[in-house]
Amino acid sequence: MKRSKRFEELEKRPISQDAFIKEWPEAGLIAMEGPEDPKPSVKIENEKIVELDGKKRADFDMLDSFIADHTLDINTVEKVMAMDSKELAKKIVDINVSRDEVRELGLGMTPAKVVEVVGHMNVVEMMMAVQKMRARKTPSNQCHITNLKEHPALIAADAAEAAMRGFDELETTVGMVRYAPSNAISLMVGAQTGRRGALTQCAVEEAMELEMGMRGFTAYAETVSVYGTEQVFVDGDDTPWSKSFLASAYASRGLKMRYTSGTGSEAEMGFADGKSMLYLEARCLYMTKGAGVQGIQNGSISCIGIPGAVPSGIRAILAENLIAMMLDLECASGNDQTFTHSRTRRTARMLMQFLPGTDFIFSGYSGVPNYDNMFAGSTHDVDDYDDYLTLQRDLKVNGGLVPVEEEEVIKIRNKAARALQAVFKELGMPEITDEEIEAVTYAHGSKDVPDRDVREDFRGIEEMLNKGTTGVEIVKALAKHGFEDVADSVFNLLKQRIAGDYLHTSAIFDDKFHCISAVNDKNDYAGPGTGYRVSDELWAKLKDTRLARDPEEIGE
Amino acid sequence: MDRDLVESIVRNVLGNLEKAEGESKTTAVNKSSNGLSDKDYPLAEKRADLVKTPSGKTLDDIQLKKILSGEIDGAELRITAETLYHQAEIAKSVGREQFAKNLERAAELTKVEDDRILEIYNAMRPYRSTKKELLDIADELENKYDAIINANLIREAADVYEKRKRLKGDR
Repeated sequence: MKRSKRFEELEKRPISQDAFIKEWPEAGLIAMEGPEDPKPSVKIENEKIVELDGKKRADFDMLDSFIADHTLDINTVEKVMAMDSKELAKKIVDINVSRDEVRELGLGMTPAKVVEVVGHMNVVEMMMAVQKMRARKTPSNQCHITNLKEHPALIAADAAEAAMRGFDELETTVGMVRYAPSNAISLMVGAQTGRRGALTQCAVEEAMELEMGMRGFTAYAETVSVYGTEQVFVDGDDTPWSKSFLASAYASRGLKMRYTSGTGSEAEMGFADGKSMLYLEARCLYMTKGAGVQGIQNGSISCIGIPGAVPSGIRAILAENLIAMMLDLECASGNDQTFTHSRTRRTARMLMQFLPGTDFIFSGYSGVPNYDNMFAGSTHDVDDYDDYLTLQRDLKVNGGLVPVEEEEVIKIRNKAARALQAVFKELGMPEITDEEIEAVTYAHGSKDVPDRDVREDFRGIEEMLNKGTTGVEIVKALAKHGFEDVADSVFNLLKQRIAGDYLHTSAIFDDKFHCISAVNDKNDYAGPGTGYRVSDELWAKLKDTRLARDPEEIGE
Repeated sequence: MDRDLVESIVRNVLGNLEKAEGESKTTAVNKSSNGLSDKDYPLAEKRADLVKTPSGKTLDDIQLKKILSGEIDGAELRITAETLYHQAEIAKSVGREQFAKNLERAAELTKVEDDRILEIYNAMRPYRSTKKELLDIADELENKYDAIINANLIREAADVYEKRKRLKGDR
């Protein structure tokens, strides 16, 4: 065939490298409205659910049992299930139906029903619903801070910059597991240097993640995964009951936590039972609600390659965020792992959460260059800061970031690295040199900083742990070396676990450690002029981006 | 996952926290309702009078300078069962029944040592325990720690694991 030059040009576009597949319901490769998804049903006998979505109690798997006994409201479920799904969808979108009314309906729907209901919505209606249904009135954002070299001073500097830029939560993880305590400490010290009250976490295996929280190296946890089929749940080495116990273990130490789930995980692990991704995700969300966890990170997360490849997959991701919110769960709404080579697609995917606003629009935005992102990259990174700030300015949207000056960024990066140098010295960890501090202060990423001696770092971490080091030793180290303000911030972060205010749904702290959550900042959206609005004070900041010129200076 | 590392962390953290646990065990837990609601939130700001550390100190007592001088131990930076019951009450006032229940389970677990918590968590994972082992843990939680909600959660798990063949030896 003689080739068309137009088609040849199209083939050179980045999107041609993306993977797209046609639907294959038997393998779970269908986003929503799967032909084998169960028909919604519920039956109650003697105040117990005896049938759920076409299954009798004797045939319940673990998730069915858990959802029937811990999540659904048996006082309302029969009434809500009898309502027409399209009518329910209208209520969810309708600005005249309150958030409280919709969340009551949420607990009266089975997973199959809720999937049928949101199936009636297009993405604009879903965004309308997200605007109304997210738990916290004020939207926020989370970032990833990692690097290929696991360089502690670089993590501290990047954390400080990210916190200053406005991220309320910062997440790190590891390439090498033994670096976890070092990364967690570096992130916490850096974040508290950048902005008092920013929350930090380190994503590692469940038991270890809890340990680091108990020690005071992290302030919350998120990587506590749940799945939508029993087989995948068990392959993930947990059950709904073990995960529920873990949730209470965190709260018993005053630590905030949320679960993680997402469409595509079951298909990726090969046990989708022929069900649609959204149906299985709905089961995760109802299980999460029943466990009494305050929130969820969802939006496909690390499995986005799967829904991203099938028709209506990005719509299904927005739908799963919405279902979480209808269940009154805090929602850290994805937009993390890279799924496309196309800048157009990645922006379009992000706008679904950016425009209506969610508790955490990204979970997270890469606060480092993509090559340093150890969560398999993110849809947006440090090189997109000006684009992102411009979108906020173009559309008058609070996406969680504020413009910053280069000079103040350099200053805060340097301070965070020096603060961490002091901490490492006092904890007996391998030295952070002045040369390293200079490098991380001005670095774009880990390519610009010296290598660490990995064996020495491991030895130092091991010794530091064996001494029984906790967050208190970090506070003392900071104070001893003149970083009283950072010491005070870390101390106050630790102190928050006494009162437990930040255990509540969608909790974050402002820079005075005032807790803002879906208890004292309830989303009260009810149409134009209500709910969250960008304040005049914030708008003045958002307008004033680095790239905006002053008319008076033009033409001089 | 490096099991040895996890275990070594557990042992070390334990050493630092046991002191406070010893103290909290001596006080009877007040589960009774205080009529708290979202108007009392955040507790740290609006009802600081209700928030105490494991040894009974107030939030005002917990100062940076006292931590630095060693006058106050790091083990004081910890939530108590009473405070968790207060937070559960607030959660119920805003319609979050399941979340409140989680906080009540958590209140019961404040008395359980860190290493025991991790052991129980691991014992609840699939294929780890026999039914009897799970029921023994439930009895231990109920009898030793007065952790009745947790005990019942584990009894329920034992029944489901048996039915779904997720007990030790079922694989």
